[in-house]
Amino acid sequence: MNEKKLTIALAGNANVGKSVVFNYLTGLHQHIGNWPGKTVEKAEGTLHFKGYTIDIIDLPGIYSLSTFSMEELISREYIAAERPDLVINIVDASVLERNLFFTLQLMELETPMVMALNQMDMAKKKGIKIVHKKLEKLLGMSVIPTVAIKGTGVYELLERSIEIIEKGGKNSPKIKYGKEIEGRIKKIAKLVEKIQFRYPARWVAIKLLEGDEQVEEEIRKINPEILLTTERLSKEIEEIHGHSCPTVITSDRYEIAGKIAREVQQIMPQISPPMRERLHTLTTHKIWGYSIMGISILAIFYSIFTFGSYASGLLNNFFYGWQPIFKSVLGVKIVGNLVWGAMEGIIAGVTVALPYIVPFYLILYFLEDSGYLSRIAFLMDNLMHKIGLHGKAFIPLMLGYGCNVPACLGCRIMETKRERLLAGFVVTLVPCAARTVIILGLVGAFVGVQWALALYAINLLIIFVLGRLAFKALPGEPTALIMEMHDYRMPHLKTVLNQTWFRLKEFIKIAFPLIIVGSLVIKLMDLLELLNPIANILSPITVTWLGLPTVVGITLIFGVLRKELTLIMLVPLLNKTDLAEVAQVLGPIGIVVFTLVTMFYIPCIATIAALVREFGWKKALFITVFEVFFAILVGGIAFKLLMLAKIWSS
Amino acid sequence: MEDRSNAEKAELPLTALRDGESGIVTSIKAGSGMGRGWGFKKRLLDMGLTPGTIVTVVKSAPFHGPLEVFVRGSRLALGRGMAQRIFVEKKK
Repeated sequence: MNEKKLTIALAGNANVGKSVVFNYLTGLHQHIGNWPGKTVEKAEGTLHFKGYTIDIIDLPGIYSLSTFSMEELISREYIAAERPDLVINIVDASVLERNLFFTLQLMELETPMVMALNQMDMAKKKGIKIVHKKLEKLLGMSVIPTVAIKGTGVYELLERSIEIIEKGGKNSPKIKYGKEIEGRIKKIAKLVEKIQFRYPARWVAIKLLEGDEQVEEEIRKINPEILLTTERLSKEIEEIHGHSCPTVITSDRYEIAGKIAREVQQIMPQISPPMRERLHTLTTHKIWGYSIMGISILAIFYSIFTFGSYASGLLNNFFYGWQPIFKSVLGVKIVGNLVWGAMEGIIAGVTVALPYIVPFYLILYFLEDSGYLSRIAFLMDNLMHKIGLHGKAFIPLMLGYGCNVPACLGCRIMETKRERLLAGFVVTLVPCAARTVIILGLVGAFVGVQWALALYAINLLIIFVLGRLAFKALPGEPTALIMEMHDYRMPHLKTVLNQTWFRLKEFIKIAFPLIIVGSLVIKLMDLLELLNPIANILSPITVTWLGLPTVVGITLIFGVLRKELTLIMLVPLLNKTDLAEVAQVLGPIGIVVFTLVTMFYIPCIATIAALVREFGWKKALFITVFEVFFAILVGGIAFKLLMLAKIWSS
Repeated sequence: MEDRSNAEKAELPLTALRDGESGIVTSIKAGSGMGRGWGFKKRLLDMGLTPGTIVTVVKSAPFHGPLEVFVRGSRLALGRGMAQRIFVEKKK
């Protein structure tokens, strides 16, 4: 049987349960990639329903269709140019007015639409009653009440969607603005109708009055006279209202959304503040909020690192248990060695990915879905401003303590390219789990815990100084936090699990190829006996400037694969049997200098891959080279200072 | 939509309101014309802070942190720098 193909796009604000609907519809038949040429995520999935193969596109969660962010541009471009068969607008019933503002904009794109009035249970709890039939009538589109986390209404939603498409997919009706605006929209639209343009004429007219830069630019190339007319008309609107024309249009649109919302909903006053309100007040409180945040972050790190090092050890033992078998099968000749080298790469990846990254992602998505991450962003906003970022940047930064790779990818939550780059750079300076192994395992164990803590403090200080410098050096204006803090809610387990799974797949795709190639290259260098000569070439830096043993040059090369190898490799290379002996060779000063260098000297190969993917190879190369020089500089200075202190104190 | 006489009444930046106080948005002063700052002005408008809207300052984070405001049935966090550019007329 030949199945007919359909495309349905999901659109809506952030945190309305869009990804829950998406997961419900597509399950594991998902593909997460990027929009062509953009670092904006594209989630796509397929589903079979009533003889159709339906391609579901999950558009980014946004509040408007202006040019504020890449997400907004991509969404409108997709709907206008790709013309999906239908757009399902997912709406949070408990914040109807704000959501309808977005609905009205979708309707302006003149596409067939259905509304999923989601989180009906939340609305009910907040004392909001919505007559969806009335909403249906006012908007002129089908409205299906849903509770996506329970799957309620999702089947009807799909059924109705197919029904609408089968009936020929009538476009959503037009929403009328105030008389003085409406007349002028029509005048401009008439002019636009005469030119060939991929967007609907009326939409273009509205966007021109809103001062949309991208649309202006394109229309200027086709017919600049339209812009002159627009300018004249928008001046007239300004005269009438006393506000700029874009302000008037946005206000009017909100006015319409508000009016519809008031007509369809009844709000019952609530007697006592419910649990989630009290929780919100507590978690954003100036004393309790910070205490709770501090304790939760510490608890999360503690449990992840305890679990991580335990599981990592188990996996390592398991894999290395196979080494003799491998060696006996493949032999210890060049081929066997190379194959084992590649295996080591895979083992390295697995022993980091599974024990550290999986729990980190699980907790992260759990916190995000519940709403707690936005509270953390609220509390940390002020601090992040010191390095030219805002509160949301704290989240990738925190992620960086687990692993820099997801942290780099996590910088996408920042709105502008400049902020993403700034956050991406800062994130690579954060000591990840692998670096923590060295800080705690070497400094903490053999010099003292206070020194380990001091190193963390120095690291934070350097992050702030470098972040601030980068912030000053990068062109562009500082940005500010504008973020919705949605109500606390119970996270949806299946969505959290799904997201973790797809993130893990993404990590493997980015990190593994380079880790394996890197392992092979180093193994080859080892076999060709190139490592010692390289270490000798590096000795002016490692020995003279940093005061470390020559072999550190070799371990620093291995450390590019994963940072803890800088330490682990020292044991055999110094001909020792355990770390205690290594610590003795290095001495306290050597340990501190070595750890400082390892902390900063290069993002590991997987992180470099992530940087290339997010920011292009030029910027990735720049960050990498900069950090190498910076680490050598810091290490050398620390060495000199510590030596001086030693002489002075004795 | 408000008329111009509103601008002549006492305009305060949103940051001047105390916790729990409400105001009516009169204007957003973030860059004139379409140049710099325009994106953020549009952002604030898109988030519902249009002239004539009632905003309630729920609380401000310590150490000159962001403001938590309640607007159009939802809760927003606004960076202080941004909030300083939103002008309101205090509601009694």
